[in-house]
Amino acid sequence: MDNAFYLDLAGKHGGMPVGTDLVLHEQPDPQAVKMDGGRLGAVIVEAASRYRTPVAMPLMDLMLEKRHMLRLLGIPEDQIPTWHFPDVPTAGARARIREGLTAALDPQLQAHVDSISHVARTTSLHAVGMSIGPFSLATKLLGDPITPVYLSGMGMTANDEPDVARLDAVLELAFQTVMRSLEAQIAAGAQSIFIAEPAGNKVFFSPNQLEAGADIFERYVIQWNRRIAERLRAAGVHLLFHCCGELVDPMVQAYGRLGASLISLGSSRDLVHDAGLLPENIVLYGNLPSKKFYSDELISADEVRLQSAGLRSRMRACGHPFILGTECDVLSVPGCEAQLKAKLEAIVNT
Amino acid sequence: MAQIEELYNAILKGNRKIVQEQVQAAVAGGMSPQEILFESMVPAIREIGDRFSRGQAFVPEMLIGARAMQAGVQILQPLMDKAGMKSLGKVAIGTVKGDLHDIGKNLVAMMVKSAGYEVIDLGVDVPVEKFEDCVKNSNVDVLMLSALLTTTMPYMKTVVDHLKGQGLKCRILIGGAPVTQAYCNQIGADGYSPDANQALGLVEGFFQKAS
Repeated sequence: MDNAFYLDLAGKHGGMPVGTDLVLHEQPDPQAVKMDGGRLGAVIVEAASRYRTPVAMPLMDLMLEKRHMLRLLGIPEDQIPTWHFPDVPTAGARARIREGLTAALDPQLQAHVDSISHVARTTSLHAVGMSIGPFSLATKLLGDPITPVYLSGMGMTANDEPDVARLDAVLELAFQTVMRSLEAQIAAGAQSIFIAEPAGNKVFFSPNQLEAGADIFERYVIQWNRRIAERLRAAGVHLLFHCCGELVDPMVQAYGRLGASLISLGSSRDLVHDAGLLPENIVLYGNLPSKKFYSDELISADEVRLQSAGLRSRMRACGHPFILGTECDVLSVPGCEAQLKAKLEAIVNT
Repeated sequence: MAQIEELYNAILKGNRKIVQEQVQAAVAGGMSPQEILFESMVPAIREIGDRFSRGQAFVPEMLIGARAMQAGVQILQPLMDKAGMKSLGKVAIGTVKGDLHDIGKNLVAMMVKSAGYEVIDLGVDVPVEKFEDCVKNSNVDVLMLSALLTTTMPYMKTVVDHLKGQGLKCRILIGGAPVTQAYCNQIGADGYSPDANQALGLVEGFFQKAS
């Protein structure tokens, strides 16, 4: 897909922090705003304006698709955040989810979709959609997602191990749920979609197993995201791929083969090194340590300025297209709002 | 006393079936549960932890090793209970209120449990009242708090302030991605660990001092 938009942005734009959550929490009633697409859209527009970017980044709420799926199963609202599939989903549960995915969206997911529609309809900003990646969603639906991945890497199949069977079945459902969310966001006018796959990292996938030749990373992360990438390409929508977890080089290279327009990585990565692992037409985004921004002891605004200038200079020297930004969305921490805002301003103004 | 090499290696490889077979064979051969646990099993889980600290093993290897070890401990547990063997100490752990992340917490819980301590897992999204109730009513020596988010980490201070304010004597250890030693000092917690292996070291250090 033609990546002129992001390559152009990389060529001329300064810093672009993801600060939508900070703007949301300036509202007197953030929870109510999250349920109202028009008001949420206005927050996104305000964040883009404040951080002087043409890219309207939505709220990064990685619970939306889980909530949508589990409501279809009738799981009570207060249990949804911690609810996991106790066994392999039954045929009945699977059918209920598949059927439910053809019906109306959960109200909060609908508000997310409406916020994208608001941006696309009422502004000239580049409207960005957002979804959790299929594997990361599956990890939120299982009590222990790591063990079955490892067992699978040892050669065990769904027939050998119930845990592997459960992971396989849940991942399939997670993919279908993510696709439903994406289709709605594409229809709402998203020009790019940010897929957050934070669990595609070395906490869940042992580098030892990958080095020994296990294909688990391909089977559990890449193949599903490849299908997403194909769908987005067909719809003319840019894929922005995000993983802020700790990675080994082959993981970064695998992400690079998805055909994303932009890849966003965590602060544990050296982006100059990663530039050498990725095709030249993929814009690298990041990767200032924004998870520490809440504390001036951990990192001051002056240090953010220094790191911003240093990273920009190193990336310019290596010649890879790059947009300076944060390693993840910047969450509003009560009592630390001023420190957080000062650091995002430092990124934009450096 | 001697280490059972096959048992030790089976834990390193996370092979639950062989661990169970080896433990059963050792019991049948007349070895005491204590000897099996502390000569072969605990050294194996410590070795995995050390490999983790050296960057040679990763979270999945630690989990799978602990899972295999637990399968063996399940066989030994009734025998240890019958023999009146006590745990090395009592530890409670939970992810603080507002935070649903449990990988780090589970890993620490498994490592500490595998090393012979009794672990009460309070789960995720745990309010201060539940921590207080556990410390007061379960005779807990060490309380471990976990948080993954910068937005939930401040709740650790709420827990520390509340429990210390109540004059409760248990040690409070904290950990999680955004947590640092400086934060630990700032909120008055008793210890901080950046990973599961070092968390176990902190617990062991505390109980050694206490004894």
